[in-house]
Amino acid sequence: MGSLNSVFEYIDEFMLLNRLNHSATYALRFIVEELFTNLVKYNRGSQNEIAVSLEKVGDSAVVQLTDFDVDEFDLTKLPEVSVDEPLRRRPVGGLGVHLVRKMVDEMRYEYSNRVSKIMVTKNLKSSGVQGHSQEQ
Amino acid sequence: MFRVTVKSNNEIELVGRLDASQVAVAREALDRVDRSSTIDFRGLEYISSAGMGVLIMTQKRLSESDQKLTLVNLNSHIRDIFRYAGFDRVFEIR
Repeated sequence: MGSLNSVFEYIDEFMLLNRLNHSATYALRFIVEELFTNLVKYNRGSQNEIAVSLEKVGDSAVVQLTDFDVDEFDLTKLPEVSVDEPLRRRPVGGLGVHLVRKMVDEMRYEYSNRVSKIMVTKNLKSSGVQGHSQEQ
Repeated sequence: MFRVTVKSNNEIELVGRLDASQVAVAREALDRVDRSSTIDFRGLEYISSAGMGVLIMTQKRLSESDQKLTLVNLNSHIRDIFRYAGFDRVFEIR
């Protein structure tokens, strides 16, 4: 997972360049880490690097992760995780994408010519780490 | 940078960023905890689901002997994420 540090350095540069607040920075770091580690975990056969891009569009950040020469793997279709289970029935893993869904405003997946693309939009003006749709 | 310190008074201190690249460090330390303990998050800037998995795993193991982890001094971002994950139902958070 050493390349994760390179991803974090890239996010830190993006944060400084765009003067993002702590909430937005935390959320972006979390979103990218969870998506990145899921792609690594479920596409073990691929030797290709995963491309990560961040772009500021208006008040939002658009995050895109691209995985090359891989089978289709749609993160947006992973089943919902129940967070109401008692401790003994709680799974240890599987929370990452559930939490990403809470933080983002839009999440899309595209697959074509063995290239997998996951794109999320995160409004940077949210008062916390959550997406606008989660704000109360 | 991430550091975990297990103190003699059943207090555990987390400092820095607990992401997937540091999760083995946290797991190695928490695997040695065998009684009810308090984890101080005051110095923890960031935690991802990988680190949260170690907390759940430790809480499950301790609960088998009626022990538990208590989490204190969480920053607002971590507190929000723990709430979305339902951690407030399986940990005492102060």
